[in-house]
Amino acid sequence: MTTTPDGPDPLRIDFHLLDRQIVDPAGAKIGKVDDVELEVGDQGELRIAALLVGQHVLGERLKGAVGRWLAAVATRLHPEGRPQPLRIPFEHVTKVDSEVIVGLRKELFETPPLEKWLRDNLIGRIPGAGHASE
Amino acid sequence: MSGGAGKKVLGVTLGVLTAIGGFVDIGDLVANSQAGARFGTRLLWVVVLGVIGICVFAEMAGRVVAVSHRPVFDLIRERLGARMAMVTLVGSYLVTLLTLGAELGGVAIALHLATSVNYLLWVPVVAFVLWVVLWRVKFDTLEQVFGLMGLALIVFVVAAFALNTDWSKVGGELTAAPPDTENWMTYGYFAVALFASALTPYEVFFFSSGGVEERWNRSDLVTSRVNVFVGFPLGGLLAIAIMVCSSVVFEPAMVNVSNVSQAVLPVAIGLGKIGLAVVILGVFAVTFGAAMETGLSAGYTVAQYFGWQWGKSVAPKRDARFHTVILVSIVIGAVMLLTTLDPVQITEYSLIFSAVVLPLTYLPILLVANDREYLGDQVNGKIRNALGVLFLIIILIAAIAAIPLLIITGAGK
Repeated sequence: MTTTPDGPDPLRIDFHLLDRQIVDPAGAKIGKVDDVELEVGDQGELRIAALLVGQHVLGERLKGAVGRWLAAVATRLHPEGRPQPLRIPFEHVTKVDSEVIVGLRKELFETPPLEKWLRDNLIGRIPGAGHASE
Repeated sequence: MSGGAGKKVLGVTLGVLTAIGGFVDIGDLVANSQAGARFGTRLLWVVVLGVIGICVFAEMAGRVVAVSHRPVFDLIRERLGARMAMVTLVGSYLVTLLTLGAELGGVAIALHLATSVNYLLWVPVVAFVLWVVLWRVKFDTLEQVFGLMGLALIVFVVAAFALNTDWSKVGGELTAAPPDTENWMTYGYFAVALFASALTPYEVFFFSSGGVEERWNRSDLVTSRVNVFVGFPLGGLLAIAIMVCSSVVFEPAMVNVSNVSQAVLPVAIGLGKIGLAVVILGVFAVTFGAAMETGLSAGYTVAQYFGWQWGKSVAPKRDARFHTVILVSIVIGAVMLLTTLDPVQITEYSLIFSAVVLPLTYLPILLVANDREYLGDQVNGKIRNALGVLFLIIILIAAIAAIPLLIITGAGK
């Protein structure tokens, strides 16, 4: 283990990580922990490699009718039909609380395709989109 | 809270007044008028029960927000898991959409009553203004403006006295069985609708998300409780006044209430033209206020499930998905009305279906309110828990009974 984030010990993936909100240091919302990627460590133990964010991986984790439907919608909404999850290496996680806090600013992560598309083609074109409410 | 005690008192007063006006919406107006016309005040106890229920629910949700800073739908996904939460999301979103359509219809009908222009012509105008407001204007100002304007519905209380209500009859009916013209099935159907009109899920989505945006903390707990415990019961009093007025005017004549202009008629009879003008203003204010809340709630639920950025404190282009959901929801709401579906019927169905989905939004809050990892020393005590569980049972009964009663009675016919 290189670094462990502040938070519950032992850290339970299902209870403390999955489905929690991920935020950056300023509180901007990055997404939910839709799935986690595990890796085998030096002593053969399983450890968390990364948090995965995306509707498609969420669908694949859930399986069943709901999961298949979610994954299918994600594929349909993706411009090339091949949605990739946002992968956040676990060493960037600084704290696991009622939110999962990562040490990097939101701007450093790739903008999800749906958000980018709606921003460029719909919302961003409406007057006043660049300012918060008055 | 830097302005000292004076500002705090003003804040509490405004909050209470806003909660009174904000409690009533098209659902309360329709359910209470219809129940009053058909059952007199025999179902009044349900309104009281519903008000206690929304107080219990909103107090827990407010405490959860102030301590853990998590809005309701975040917790629904954390606690029910992603799959069950998806079912809840689909259900709550559809109900919120139905309610949004009903509120838009209410606004359009209030404008119709004021101008005599057909309400369908008002629908696109109202939808556009609603969207502009949600796009551009900071919300708390408007919430207060419409909440205060909604206080105009106090004319129902005044009208209840002006109509020479026979209060001994009102009292005598409180514990009475349904009248000869009705049966226990229709009694149950209207009981569920009334209960749901007081305890609507969107109110709690909205209330908790607003608390997160305003960064409530423990010091705001008192304000939040006063708003809930004073504002909602006083709002419930308006709902009861609507029922009493309707029972005086319509029950003896055996007239059913099937449109909004009938619902405001008792005020016109009791107080004349000025009363009518005031009640139309009140209906306009509360339905527009509720349309803002349901429009935002539609965005909140979807964004909070998926973990998207949401809220009005960032520029719309930084939460494009959230604003898209709001825009699309308003368009669907308006189109629903333009198909000439009857707004009152939309309201009736929105109430019954909101009773069905309520347990799934209530249960996670009750669980988190008992969780020390989230709430520390602010977890439910024994009394709050007893009340919390009691209402879980009542909410479950209403949810299970809702669809069968809808079918058996043919939507209360």
